[in-house]
Amino acid sequence: MKKYLLFGLSLFLVSSLWAQEGSVTGTVTDAETGETVPGANVVEKGTTNGTITDFDGNYKLSVSDDATLVYSFVGYAPQEVEVGARGIIDVSLDLDIQSLSEIVVVGYGTQNKKEITSSVASISAEDFNKGTVNDPVQLLQGKVAGLNISRPGGNPNGTFNVRLRGVSTVGANTEPLVVIDGVIGGSLNTVDPNDIASIDILKDGSAAAIYGTRGSSGVILVTTKTGKKGKTQVDYNGSFAIEDLARTMDFMSPSEYRDLIYNDSRFNQIPDGATRPVNDFGSSTNWLDEVTQVGQAQVHNLAFSGGTASTTYRVSMNYRDTQGVGIGTGFEQLNGRINISQNALNDNMKLTFGLSATSKKAQFGFEEAFRYAVVANPTMPVNFDGTTGTIDRGGYAERDIFDFFNPVSIAEQNVNEGDDTKVLMNLRVNYDFSDFVEGLSVAVAYSKQEEYETRAEYYNKGAKFRGFGRNGLALRSENRKVNQLAEATGNYTTSVNDMNISFLGGYSFQEFFEEGFGMQGGDFLTDAFTYNNIGASLDFPNGQGGAGSGANEYRIIGFFGRLNLNYDDTYFLSASTRYEGSSRFGVNNRWGMFPAVSAGVNLTNLIDIPFVDNLKLRGSYGRTGALPGQSYIALQQYGPTGTFFYNGEYVPSYGPISNANPDLQWETKDEIDFGFDFSMLNNRLSGTFDWYSRQTKDMILQVNVPVPPNLFGQTFVNIGQFDNSGVELSLSYAAVTNKDFQWDVSFNIATFKTEVASLTSGDLSFGEGGVLYRANMGAPGQNQTNLARVKEGEELGQLWGVVQEGINEDGTPRFADLDGDGTFCSCDDDRQVIGNGLPEATAGFTNTFTYKNWSLNVFFRGAFGHDLVNSYRGFYENTEGTTVNNYNVVKTKYFDPSVSRAAVSSVHVESADFIQLNNATLSYDVPLGEGSQVRRLRLFVSSQNPLTFTNYTGVDPEVRYTDKNDSDNGGRATSDADADGLSPGIERRSTYFTTRIFTLGLNLGF
Amino acid sequence: MKKIVKNISLMALGLVFITSACTDLDEELYSQVTADNFFTSDEEFISALGQAYSGFASIGNHSQLWSINEIASDEVVIATKGGDWFDGGILLALHQHTYAPDNGFFNNTWGALYGNINTVNRLIFQFEQLGTPEADAFIAELRAVRALWYFWALDAFGNVPLVTDFTDTDTKGNTSRQDVYNFTISELNEVIPLLSEEKSSATYARINRWAALTIRMKLYLNAEVYTGTPQWAAAEEDANAIINSGLYSLEGNYASNFAVDNAGSGENIFVVPYDVNLFQGFNWHQMTLHYVSQGTYGFNDQPWNGYATVEEFYNSYIDPDQNPGPQGMVWADEALEETEGTRDARLSNFIVGPQFLADGSRAEDGAAEADDPDGAPLTFSPKINEIFPNSWRQGGARIGKYEFTSGPSTMGNDFVIFRYADVLLTRAEAALRQGNNADALTLVNQIRARAGVAAFASISLESLYGERGREMFVEMTRRQDMIRFEKFDDPYWEKTQDADDHWEIFPIPQAQLDANDKLTQNPGYN
Repeated sequence: MKKYLLFGLSLFLVSSLWAQEGSVTGTVTDAETGETVPGANVVEKGTTNGTITDFDGNYKLSVSDDATLVYSFVGYAPQEVEVGARGIIDVSLDLDIQSLSEIVVVGYGTQNKKEITSSVASISAEDFNKGTVNDPVQLLQGKVAGLNISRPGGNPNGTFNVRLRGVSTVGANTEPLVVIDGVIGGSLNTVDPNDIASIDILKDGSAAAIYGTRGSSGVILVTTKTGKKGKTQVDYNGSFAIEDLARTMDFMSPSEYRDLIYNDSRFNQIPDGATRPVNDFGSSTNWLDEVTQVGQAQVHNLAFSGGTASTTYRVSMNYRDTQGVGIGTGFEQLNGRINISQNALNDNMKLTFGLSATSKKAQFGFEEAFRYAVVANPTMPVNFDGTTGTIDRGGYAERDIFDFFNPVSIAEQNVNEGDDTKVLMNLRVNYDFSDFVEGLSVAVAYSKQEEYETRAEYYNKGAKFRGFGRNGLALRSENRKVNQLAEATGNYTTSVNDMNISFLGGYSFQEFFEEGFGMQGGDFLTDAFTYNNIGASLDFPNGQGGAGSGANEYRIIGFFGRLNLNYDDTYFLSASTRYEGSSRFGVNNRWGMFPAVSAGVNLTNLIDIPFVDNLKLRGSYGRTGALPGQSYIALQQYGPTGTFFYNGEYVPSYGPISNANPDLQWETKDEIDFGFDFSMLNNRLSGTFDWYSRQTKDMILQVNVPVPPNLFGQTFVNIGQFDNSGVELSLSYAAVTNKDFQWDVSFNIATFKTEVASLTSGDLSFGEGGVLYRANMGAPGQNQTNLARVKEGEELGQLWGVVQEGINEDGTPRFADLDGDGTFCSCDDDRQVIGNGLPEATAGFTNTFTYKNWSLNVFFRGAFGHDLVNSYRGFYENTEGTTVNNYNVVKTKYFDPSVSRAAVSSVHVESADFIQLNNATLSYDVPLGEGSQVRRLRLFVSSQNPLTFTNYTGVDPEVRYTDKNDSDNGGRATSDADADGLSPGIERRSTYFTTRIFTLGLNLGF
Repeated sequence: MKKIVKNISLMALGLVFITSACTDLDEELYSQVTADNFFTSDEEFISALGQAYSGFASIGNHSQLWSINEIASDEVVIATKGGDWFDGGILLALHQHTYAPDNGFFNNTWGALYGNINTVNRLIFQFEQLGTPEADAFIAELRAVRALWYFWALDAFGNVPLVTDFTDTDTKGNTSRQDVYNFTISELNEVIPLLSEEKSSATYARINRWAALTIRMKLYLNAEVYTGTPQWAAAEEDANAIINSGLYSLEGNYASNFAVDNAGSGENIFVVPYDVNLFQGFNWHQMTLHYVSQGTYGFNDQPWNGYATVEEFYNSYIDPDQNPGPQGMVWADEALEETEGTRDARLSNFIVGPQFLADGSRAEDGAAEADDPDGAPLTFSPKINEIFPNSWRQGGARIGKYEFTSGPSTMGNDFVIFRYADVLLTRAEAALRQGNNADALTLVNQIRARAGVAAFASISLESLYGERGREMFVEMTRRQDMIRFEKFDDPYWEKTQDADDHWEIFPIPQAQLDANDKLTQNPGYN
């Protein structure tokens, strides 16, 4: 029977030969709803005699004497019925959540959970995060031990950082590989969260090794919803949400600021002819209120699905409209999806087709509006009113000082927008050769994904922020990415005595193409065009405009195979390998081998353990790889290196821009994982434990190389090693299981440890002498001040700086003379590790209370052991003249008015442990009368992020896995893609404030 | 079991079939060039020579060779203005001669020096492979370019590694300053006769014979500092060769050498040909001017309010005792009102006094310190109240040497590396140090006459030093002059007497010592 469960959906029995002993008819229904179940398997136990129920759930089967019938269907608990003398047997099948989750999606297939011998987590739709969720990965936040999903701040267009099992590389690929319905490298933006049936996470090396050069950061497998045979179902999910600020930065109110300046002789002198000190501009402005609004979001999802015995389909349309709390931020998105499955050739052939299209228009706005709202003098007016000391920039009050912009003007005068269009289509043809060779099937699949993005910015002629100096500034860019994948796989399953054997083999060809184009120009006569008529920019005729374009391509080709053995449901073994090559590697090292092996034993089949229903021990080893982040970096390339003056005119100068490295290969990660899965107390308590250790070596980094012998000063090489280990524990417990009241608890926790084992390879070193200092604090006044250190042999995530011992009489901080040479010097000798930017542990905790038709779900998540540099405090929590004269003063619980110097030090590094009430959702299933046309009606209210418990005084205690260097004075912060993964733990000033969301929603089905 | 084996081998057969069809991993190029599709035309070869010169683009930028030379001298200072411009204290350390090897400016400078030396070595190697007559001419020019980088390297860091052959890949330890000097001189001796004597647009912004002679002249001028043995006569001889060529002459107007369009200067010998579009990297307007000055000049970007002139140095122009000449109203001290002083034409080196916006109204610094006597209306006062921690935002005469114009954050004036006035003053100094006072006086008075100030009646090393200072302000000669005239270790504004003279050679950057265990630190640093 195992086999039938395993291939539940796709296996249909052809019952051509059976003895005409007696005939049984009946109807199979859903025990809960009473609806008929079409397509259910009805099989005589111990034989291949069987049938499936028809469209109305009816079946007819001839059976032998003493037959026992087994009724099964995916999602339901199988039921066995002895026929006896009966001729009519109606069966009601119970939904079986256990069995649903027992099908686990793995690379190139599915497996029964009990057979899984590697570390795989599977989350189905009912366990997803609730509320207003716009990004698929947010569905998983906090749900999977070891999978950390963070998005500092509440930017509706912000992207989530996803780290599986901590930080195991600093190469280009730190985010897990995404596979959508088999499409490798599919974009999550092509999937609406409402259309996802389940998400599986391949956590360890053995599970991910089948994805070869792309498995090192883990794999996220997304399975979208499909139609079921039977009656047409129509589902509508709709919600409306409001959003407001949750956490911000504490700074002085107008009255606090006035108290400060009027009571300090440095600031309270009143110039001749004036009535107020220069820093009092006479107004009272709450800048935070001025740059924020109550955000709103609405989500509508309409799906219809159904199917006949040979065709199933599901079609859905999703609409999302979101306005963030920051004025001028939000997006509108439309997404459509069709999934169709058709059986042909006596059901031996199965064709599946999926098409999804996403169209999104985003207003990105400016995180800088938050930054300058914190530091803007609270006595300034928003709009220019002639106040002395302010200047008029397009009607807004500005001050002609360094690194200051009227935050309202940033958000209101300028635009920062973009359109995304994404299309993903995939076709899969599976042919079951069981008529020729029992257990053999072959599939071919092709998919193409196209992503097209445009970005546009315009800075008003009057806008001090980037526009005024350029007399208007427009930027346009577009980027197109194409991902084509063709794969062929073969599956063969058989059994020899008690040994079930399944074999998978396949070939994969994938080609990626990307092209981009961008231009910028300023000096416009009018703001009327915004970014829509960039040719009107006078910068182009004046030679000041800029334009660029580029294109690149690469291929990945792989051969793979996997063997699964299951002996008597007790001993399990899985072995796989992928032989894969990429054009991004150097010519000498184009192909690599990525093997894996894992084994498990179900102890409860061998010995009785009191109270334990199930206990499986397992262990695995797997090797995965990571690709270089760019194409062509293994080649000697030449490029423009400026111009020079030759015979009276400027001519272009070309020189090497990279060195050849024909030996450049994949990054290699070897991982071992030992764990166990158990259930006990009559399956009320179940859990999973894993311990892993991974070694990542040959990371692909650009290091300084000597010139000569090299032509260029930096080369991409394989270098360095990270050692990474941790434990993960997930538990779920059905605490109360009364008929009317149920209480389910689940909990997960994961620990992390990452050691920078090596940054060197032979004579080469990433960082001088195995040490790197990075993450400059920035202006004003704190350039050349690195906040992070990476050191060979020590843990990753070190925050670096001076140690404050006390405050001198004159208000300057006194820093420790750490090297004991008698004086403090502003140099690395007197700096030390002053914090740790990476968490030691993360945890999630879910409680679900169900009382009759009511359900309350409360979900907490937390991260522990990490620190954050609070940049706002490091710059502005002091009464230095520059701070008070130019900016507002940050005032947290640590504020000490006697400190009169801005100098970041140990006192600005704060523990950022936090526990967040991530989500509380109360839902009510409206009881529907017998025979109601409505199948399901659920109402819910949900509150996201209402509470955060932390001692951190900054904006968001969320882990910062990467650092986007602060820019200043109108520069834009580093893009997410270029953020630095080696300096985690810094909260920069351009952080979108965190928000809480209150959602009211409805699920309707008929 | 037999059946399984059969089926598996069937599948394997299928894979083999696919293998031969689709394993092509050759990359296709789109917006890239490699050796395979480049260096196929003359233009493409000439573009390679350009690398030797495009490296000069860093000279007019902050935190590089120019910055360490000027901030460590008594000409300019970047004072800490409250929370602004502390930057880890490295700027104060440069001014006060307490700099440490991990000061990032040193490593930036080292990186630029050796990056360019390596580029030149590579280009010499590449042109040697060609072996054409044009390539030989290029090689002579490249060796002269390399001599300039070595001159700067030995001047700044003293005992630097001598890397001269691209094919020699061994890591190099220190070479004594004497030996680097000897190498540089001998290189120049060899290539000077091979270089073009032409002064025309064909050699503009490139090292011709006269520019190479100027390099050697300056090496000789400082030979006593570098080697312990003076070479005054040799310096004088090289200066004379340049003067006698008749190709160069003093411009009538000092400021025209530094104007936005200064390519026609008859005085400039070697320049970096900056252009707002085509050759970028010169941003003194950003470095020195006040934030509010954006509105004065119509810059695209707000300046940084960094570099300012040390008041004592500014006063050497207006003080009639040091600089006799026509008296008139000049800005001094707190610049509250103009006072009597010498009106030297070279005061064009400074931007000082009240500042106005483009529409004629006063520029206002809304965040001026309460104790700044100039108040909010922006006024650059020669006086700087203190170097740390709360220097006035408006304190200090700004560096106005190069003419500023509206536009982008990079300037188009050609940056003067060598200038004829320096040749005249070098000849004067060499003559004076050899006892030929009359010749020295004549030459110095030529310079003074052009500046519109009174002729000196007599000449001394002290007065010649002062004149060099006024004439060569921020032209990367002051630190050399101070060392040569033994002033570098003296106390001056906000700096105490150096305990010893090891500060005269900058420390080898810590990052270089870490990366190269053959390197040893210069004496006095640890």
